[in-house]
Amino acid sequence: MAFNSINRTDVPMIEICDLEKRFGHLQVLNKINLKVNPKEVLVIIGPSGSGKSTLLRCINHLEEPTGGKIFFEGTLINDSKKNHKAFERHINQIRCRLGMVFQQFNLFPHMTVLENVMEAPVHVLKQNKSEVRDRAIALLDKVGLMDKTGAYPGMLSGGQQQRVAIARALAMEPKAMLFDEVTSALDPELVGDVLRVMEDLARDGMTMLVVTHEMGFAEKVGDRVIFMADGVVVEDAPPHEIFASPKEKRTKLFLAEVLK
Amino acid sequence: MLDWNIMVHYFPFLLKATILTLEISLLSLVLGLIFGLSAALCKLARNPFLRMPATFYIWLIRSTPLLVQLFIIYFGFPQLGIDLGPFMSGVLGLALNVGAYNAETIRGGIISVPRGQTEAARSLGMTINLSMRRIILPQALRIILPPLGNNFIILIKDTSLVSTITLVELTLTAQRLIGSTYKPFEIYLMAAALYAVLTTSASLVLSYLERRTRKEAR
Ligand SMILES: Nc1ncnc2c1ncn2[C@@H]1O[C@H](COP(=O)(O)OP(=O)(O)OP(=O)(O)O)[C@@H](O)[C@H]1O
Ligand SMILES: [Mg+2]
Repeated sequence: MAFNSINRTDVPMIEICDLEKRFGHLQVLNKINLKVNPKEVLVIIGPSGSGKSTLLRCINHLEEPTGGKIFFEGTLINDSKKNHKAFERHINQIRCRLGMVFQQFNLFPHMTVLENVMEAPVHVLKQNKSEVRDRAIALLDKVGLMDKTGAYPGMLSGGQQQRVAIARALAMEPKAMLFDEVTSALDPELVGDVLRVMEDLARDGMTMLVVTHEMGFAEKVGDRVIFMADGVVVEDAPPHEIFASPKEKRTKLFLAEVLK
Repeated sequence: MLDWNIMVHYFPFLLKATILTLEISLLSLVLGLIFGLSAALCKLARNPFLRMPATFYIWLIRSTPLLVQLFIIYFGFPQLGIDLGPFMSGVLGLALNVGAYNAETIRGGIISVPRGQTEAARSLGMTINLSMRRIILPQALRIILPPLGNNFIILIKDTSLVSTITLVELTLTAQRLIGSTYKPFEIYLMAAALYAVLTTSASLVLSYLERRTRKEAR
């Protein structure tokens, strides 16, 4: 324990070793190796079907890796030595500290905005309801939705829903956040509000893994960008390098296509 | 035409029998919900030891007539040393029957909730049970409620079949009264009216519940 805490700062937030994922015969992830340090913002870009979503979903175990290891704060996530029940508890503990935001928002439509944000802290972490409420309201204020606390998700725009989804994940006070193309389903004029919230979050020191097609965001907010294709990491560099002078041919082709 | 004196005189007997019919209906309703929900969750489970018995139960009930199911429980089970008597046999038979139909209804509702809902719930650290209880079932309920209500209306009418296993509910009471009065038209007409009151009240309660769940939606 003491040993652990001494080395805390040296431990990567997320470490991925030789990660593999197959769907039947389809090899979607092929020996991925990756380290994400605390407070780092890692942007993941790449063509459709390259395995970006699958990578994020393996990290919080919505998909079960078929090979390799994933560590979160030094703890092995896909620990196959645990029995079913112990693994459930283990993975739920990790998910409490690792938020995720989805392309399709996935808000709970039968709950108000405030209830959406309060749900997990109250029912998973069993935190005091009135304290959670105060925190939830503060978070909704932070994402600019103070006036929507009583609304149902169906009454909100896509951009508003996505900001609620971010607040919902943040209410768990996670150590890191996974964002999977969170602006791809939005009308162009609503993208900015969501990106601004993410930018604030990065500035506050949140560790973030962000799959996105927003190259402007990647360049401005990312500490590092990885380019994925066919289930491998083709290039891994700081944003100014990867955008100004990509080394790999496939990265060049991809960037030429998306920045056109 | 109608013999009003007979009707006025015998109505209280039928009304009293209606209370038994109502009891049978409500008890089977509650049990049928429990059976239905359990069977639906088992049939959706990955574990084949849960899935297979549930699938078998649903298949068995839906592929055989209710009347035969009641006969097996009431006349057949005593041969195995299980003598439940008419009331328990009737309630069990009806509950098992409606439970199988409920199971398919509930399963359909659960499946219709988008996968992203489960994923969002799980990504927040919810257990499978918690996400089912707090996230999936409340949303499924909105879809399930109308067809479930239909199952219950059918259940109320199907309680008349337990008259064949000597349970003196509304239909059997009517039959017995006819045996002594020889006025089948009047008596059956009143019985039909009483069934209609039960089913219509059930419909009203259900549409109230439907409206309530829908109001929460958006
Ligand atoms: N559950 C699944 N079963 C089978 N194949 C899958 C499954 N999920 C993803 N795939 C396949 O894995 C590959 C990678 O998918 P993934 O969603 O990770 O790509 P992506 O990089 O996120 O693409 P996009 O930019 O379109 O979101 C695709 O070929 C996809 O068809
Ligand atoms: Mg994707």
